[in-house]
Amino acid sequence: MQGSGVVVVPRNFRLLEELEKGEKGIGDGTVSYGMDSDDLMMRNWTGTIIGPPNTVHDGRIYTLKIYCDEQYPNKPPQVRFQSRVQLSCVAPNGVVDARTFHILGRWNRTYTMETVLTELRREMAAPHNRKLPQPPEGSNY
Amino acid sequence: MDSSQLPRRIIKETQRLLSEPVPGISAAPSEDNLRYFNVIILGPDSSPYQGGVFKLELFLPEDYPMAAPKVRFLTKIYHPNVDKLGRICLDILKDKWSPALQIRTVLLSIQALMSAPNPDDPLDENIARQWKTNEVEAMNTARQWTELYAHQA
Repeated sequence: MQGSGVVVVPRNFRLLEELEKGEKGIGDGTVSYGMDSDDLMMRNWTGTIIGPPNTVHDGRIYTLKIYCDEQYPNKPPQVRFQSRVQLSCVAPNGVVDARTFHILGRWNRTYTMETVLTELRREMAAPHNRKLPQPPEGSNY
Repeated sequence: MDSSQLPRRIIKETQRLLSEPVPGISAAPSEDNLRYFNVIILGPDSSPYQGGVFKLELFLPEDYPMAAPKVRFLTKIYHPNVDKLGRICLDILKDKWSPALQIRTVLLSIQALMSAPNPDDPLDENIARQWKTNEVEAMNTARQWTELYAHQA
């Protein structure tokens, strides 16, 4: 199960690390996340992405629901936009599609919720997404 | 994980934990991660946790023993030094950690903290306030939580 000599941080301690990092605040604050409730198993999280400049998403605040099951971080979390958005990797119901969003599709144990949010924000600025017509600002699924 | 890759210090500590367990405490490494321990601490006698079986998890980070083990309660507990996620406010897990301490000493300290809560250095403000203003009531709540959450088969 483990590679030679590699120290594997178990799920719960990994999520506690992510929680503490999220509470301190990440970088310039363009992505953030926090835990929804005081669930000992730390399953439900809310993420936020501020739309990147020079795109149709500029200044919009997107909220997402992130679900980390027992398999996390060996398996990717389930990610779903709460704010309506039009992106090539997001299904009509807001679910981020692992087949088209490579961070989920080719998940690696070193990825975190921060990775997911940062890469989704990068997706928003990609040539095929940056000019897509968007649902009204502030509307939810 | 092949135990030959595990630092000798961790192997020795594990062997001693298994061969000479501390009364009221059990700690066993998981099969797939020898740095990750399943811990049980029995509620100390004459504490509101008496009779309860408290599960905890403990992880030895890569830089152990230079860094402290990480440990938290998995059983809900009403205690001023434990927060809602089971995280424990204990000096030796933070700035008072020394490589001379061991898994054994950490678990003994947690057991002692259960016997003697420290509401002046709280992690949960509400519980600490209750502990200081109405200790009888706080002890009652702690006993109720022990019945409710620490008695599963």
